[in-house]
Amino acid sequence: MSDSHGHHRPRPESEPALRAAALEALLVEKGLVSSDAIDAIVELYERDVGPQNGAKVVARAWTDPAFRERLLADATAAVDELGFGGAEADTLVAVPNTPTVHNVVVCTLCSCYPWAVLGLPPTWYKSPPYRARMVAEPRAVLREFGLELPAEAEVRVWDSSAEVRYLVVPVRPAGTDGWTEDALAALVTRDSMIGTAVPAAPGPAS
Amino acid sequence: MDGVHDLGGMHGFGPVVLPGGEAVFHEPWEARVFALHVLAGIEGLGARPGGRATRELMDPARYLAASYYERWLWSVEQLLLRKGTIAPGEVEGMMERLAGGQPPPRRRDPGQAARALDRLREVDPLRPATQARFEVGARVRVRRMHPPGHTRCPRYARGAAGVVEHLRGADELPDVAAYRKGAPVEPVYTVAFRSEELWGAGEEPAWTVRLDLWESYLEEAS
Repeated sequence: MSDSHGHHRPRPESEPALRAAALEALLVEKGLVSSDAIDAIVELYERDVGPQNGAKVVARAWTDPAFRERLLADATAAVDELGFGGAEADTLVAVPNTPTVHNVVVCTLCSCYPWAVLGLPPTWYKSPPYRARMVAEPRAVLREFGLELPAEAEVRVWDSSAEVRYLVVPVRPAGTDGWTEDALAALVTRDSMIGTAVPAAPGPAS
Repeated sequence: MDGVHDLGGMHGFGPVVLPGGEAVFHEPWEARVFALHVLAGIEGLGARPGGRATRELMDPARYLAASYYERWLWSVEQLLLRKGTIAPGEVEGMMERLAGGQPPPRRRDPGQAARALDRLREVDPLRPATQARFEVGARVRVRRMHPPGHTRCPRYARGAAGVVEHLRGADELPDVAAYRKGAPVEPVYTVAFRSEELWGAGEEPAWTVRLDLWESYLEEAS
C-alpha cells in the first residue's frame, strides 16, 4: 500500500487521488511536510501497529493471571509493559467477556478506535450502518457477522464518545490448555477484540 | 452540533457487512491522506476546530456520499486553509500541474519523520479528576441540549437516565476546546444505560449501552 517511490508513482486517476497528491505536493513544495515523514506514518500503521499487538495483549492475559489483573485495572499501563502504548489508546480500558457478558465497541459520532493495540479501523467500523445500528440493535448486527449469542447473555455496547478507548478481552477458547502465548495469539482476531466475533475454538487435532 | 455524523440509532443504512468492508485503505492515496492529516496536527499546520469537529461541518448529503478518507481529505484542506498555511486556489493549481505531467516534489526531513513517530508512540492519558460531582453508582440524566457547535454528547442519549459506573479522569470540554485554548476541564464518567431507556421495548432481549460523558452533559436524576 505504501508508495515510497514518488517519482515512479503512476499519474493519479480519480479526483480525490489527484487532490490528495496535490495537497501533499503543495505542502512538500512549501517545505512544511517531508515525504519521508508521510512514508514513516503510513509504514508505522501498516507494519508495526496493528491487531497483532492487541492479540499479544490478550494472549498474555489468558496465560498470566497477574497480567490480566493489571490489564483490567489499568490497561494503559499494562499494554505499555509490552511496548504497545501510543496514539488513540492514551486512556485504554480493557473490558472482559465472560460466559454471560459480551462486550462490543462502536463510535457513533466518528470512528474512535484503539489504534495502538488494533491499528486503524476497517471500513465497516467507520461506516454509517455500523455506527447507526450497533447501539440500537446489537444482536442483529452481530448476527450479520455470524455471531449468535445465547439469549441469556448480556450485551454491553461501549460507545466511545470521549477520549477513552476500549479493548475487548475475549474468553479463552476451550481446548487450548497448555498452548503457548504465540499459539494463543494466533487465535485472537481483530474482530474478537472489537466484539463482533469470538475466537474460534481449535478443531480436533488431525 | 446535531449533524448527520451523529448516527446512533438512525434507520435506513442497510447492512454492515459488505464486500470490501474489511480493508483499512482501499487506495494508496487514502493512506497518504491519513498520514498527512496526522502530520498536519503534529506540526501545527492547521487551525481549530480539529479534524473531527471540522468533518461535522461538511454538507450532510456530501458527508454521507463521501468515503471515509474523502472526508479526511476535505477536513485537512479546511484546517490548512483556515490557518493560512495554504491559500484558496493553490490546491487546484497544483492539481493542474500534476495532471499536466509535473512530477510530484519529494523532500527529505528525517527529523520531522522521527518527531512524528515519537509523538504517535507517546501516551497522554486523561488527567486525574478532582471534585467530581457524581459518585459511582449515582443515577444521572443526560441534559436536553441542542448545541449548534461541536459536542460529544450523542443525540440518542439526551434525556435518558443511567448509572455512573466509572470516573475515568478529567479532560477539556470538547464543546469549548474545539474552538479555543483554555477550555474548562471536567470529570468524564462512564454511564450505563438500559436499552429500554434509550429505545423503548424492542424485539431483541434487553442490552446495555455505555457512554463516556463530560460532567456538564449530566444532571442528577430524580
